[in-house]
Amino acid sequence: MIGVNEKSSPTPPEGGVLEAPKKTLFQENWGLFKRNRLALAGLMIFLIFFIIALTGRILTYGRNPYFNPALVRLQEKLRPPLSMPNLETLKPEEVPRFGVYLFGTDDLGRDVFSRMLQGAWVSLTVGFVAVGIAVVIGVFLGGIAGYYGSSRVRTGHLLAFVLLGWGVIDLLTVVVTILRGQGGINIFLGRIAVDIFMVLIGAGIATLLIRMGYSKGRRPIPTGLSVLFLKLFSVDVLITGLIDIMLCFPSFFLILTVVALLERSIFNIMAVIGLTSWMGAARFIRAEFLSLREQDFVTAATALGVPNWRIIFRHMVPNAMAPVLVSATIGIATAILTEAGLSFLGFGVPPPDATWGNILSNGKNFLFDAPWLTFVPGFAVLIVVLAFNLFGEGLRDVLNPKLRER
Amino acid sequence: MLAFLGRSTIQKLITLFFVSVISFLIIHLAPGEPSQIDPLNPKFTQEVLERFRKQFHLDEPLYKQYYIFYRDLFAGKSVSWKDNRPVLGKIYERFLNSLPLFILGTLITWTLSFPVGIHAAIRRGSFYDRSTTFLAYLLISIPGFFFAYMLIIFVVTRFHVPVIGMETFGLAPRGLLIPAMDRVWHLLLPSILFAAGGIAVLSRYVRNQMLEVESQDYVRTARAKGLPADKVHYKHALRNALLPFVTMFGLILPGLLGGSVIIESIFSWPGMGRMAYEAILARDYPVILTVNFISAILVLIGTFISDLLYMIVDPRIRL
Repeated sequence: MIGVNEKSSPTPPEGGVLEAPKKTLFQENWGLFKRNRLALAGLMIFLIFFIIALTGRILTYGRNPYFNPALVRLQEKLRPPLSMPNLETLKPEEVPRFGVYLFGTDDLGRDVFSRMLQGAWVSLTVGFVAVGIAVVIGVFLGGIAGYYGSSRVRTGHLLAFVLLGWGVIDLLTVVVTILRGQGGINIFLGRIAVDIFMVLIGAGIATLLIRMGYSKGRRPIPTGLSVLFLKLFSVDVLITGLIDIMLCFPSFFLILTVVALLERSIFNIMAVIGLTSWMGAARFIRAEFLSLREQDFVTAATALGVPNWRIIFRHMVPNAMAPVLVSATIGIATAILTEAGLSFLGFGVPPPDATWGNILSNGKNFLFDAPWLTFVPGFAVLIVVLAFNLFGEGLRDVLNPKLRER
Repeated sequence: MLAFLGRSTIQKLITLFFVSVISFLIIHLAPGEPSQIDPLNPKFTQEVLERFRKQFHLDEPLYKQYYIFYRDLFAGKSVSWKDNRPVLGKIYERFLNSLPLFILGTLITWTLSFPVGIHAAIRRGSFYDRSTTFLAYLLISIPGFFFAYMLIIFVVTRFHVPVIGMETFGLAPRGLLIPAMDRVWHLLLPSILFAAGGIAVLSRYVRNQMLEVESQDYVRTARAKGLPADKVHYKHALRNALLPFVTMFGLILPGLLGGSVIIESIFSWPGMGRMAYEAILARDYPVILTVNFISAILVLIGTFISDLLYMIVDPRIRL
């Protein structure tokens, strides 16, 4: 009887001192987050934007979409928002959905509402993919700098990196040139041979170094190869140096240069924004790792024989993610702004696909005749970016106990 | 001190070297060449192309091109591929145009951010605090070009003054006042836009800094011994809150170049940002690389100055 009683309702000994907290961490954070009304509004707008972008993608996709963003009606150009279409001049399939131009039409008579729907998806994916790339690179490099920072880079590492990198990149260029039909395989035979040779040597050095690394100095360094094992500088110096170098570039100018030189495509923009904005995440992760490495739970895990990768990904990364999450949320806002800026300058997604930036860019020529072409996408970008910023700041307040209002 | 100076200089020179290598590689490894910028132009015969490549050393291996380019740059001999004018002279001319914009923008930023941030911190949680916070987020989030067009619509329809360009073209030189006012009007909008983002970030930073100092023990002591509130805020708290901002003087240097591409394009302002943009469009490698190089130098000098100032201002810091 007593046992059953204990099982069904465990009474805490000594007045509930040992009782586990009733709220989970998430519930507690959510409770704190809810109090910040601006951040809550940001989250709501973010969710709505997400749904709109997703449905917009579905409704504007394909050859004959529900909302056609590319349908040109020259007789209906520059109609103001909420105007009715002139049914006499339009074919039945050209009449806009709901029988009204919700946001008006542009200079080619395309429905701005449909184009905005299509652009929402572009903004969303650019934001998320670019920041995703940045976070992955940042966590990877920052994690290495924080965890393996004190180990030394040896000459062999550099040599293997240069040989492998050069060989693989050159091979790829050759393959691409051949595939594009800009030259037969015969011309490149010598170059291919040199590349393969370099890759093989590089791979050989890399395996040698890895095997020597596993033996932890118990095996003697093979004679004649000791030149590969000279210690140069620490990993930390390498990665912080890389971060410093990247921070020297004027970011928008760099993005503009690279995007202008490459082909115009949405994927290039995502990749370039991602590759130029990982420094913040790397710095945060590095700083967090430096302090986490000294914590007892990491020592305990090491003592238990947990492998390094598991300590890093299972124990340390989850504890270090809070500042990265915040900077990623705000990074999405920045990425959306950058994409809009690039589209505005004419380096964005190629037409006829619409983005908010290029709707605005087209609209600037009709600034005084058709102000809705400027205001509709402008306010859309403003609201979405604002939502991300507010949400990110709210998240920062919740995740950083030091900043909480006392 | 000397050791720090030496170490820092060497470090920055190494960084600069790698920046120069990377920017060079990015530009030269990207697909396409300046000789292919206009493939449909019938004047670009194969022979002309070859001459073009030879003239600008594009037929040399990369490391040689790198050496030639930076040798010419340091000798001040490198010329723009577009119009054959010396790059440094071209940049200097545009720099003089950008300078008023930069100075006025920075002045607006710094004079507005401090009062706004300090007041928000003193009246924490008040309506003033919350509205300036929201305003700051609004300014950070608004796309610069959209804000620019809103301001243009407002000013042009309200005050009927032209705002595009550096001055009104063909304005009769009557007296001193009218051309001067004309210049001011043209300068004002781009400067406000230049300052907008800065005000938002800096005022938030001032507020947070002030709040942190206000929660320190010595401020509580000052209050406890009955000092008037103004004296506590402005004499005890503010002085210490200002410390980190001394270092920010170094960090505004790179602003000379960055972030002005879009604004200068909209206002047809012949500044550095616009020149860089035009150079990108024309694949004018020397100009792109030089602008990049100069901006990297500005960033490095900026961080150097800010480190130095921090050391002078805050004796606790020993680098």
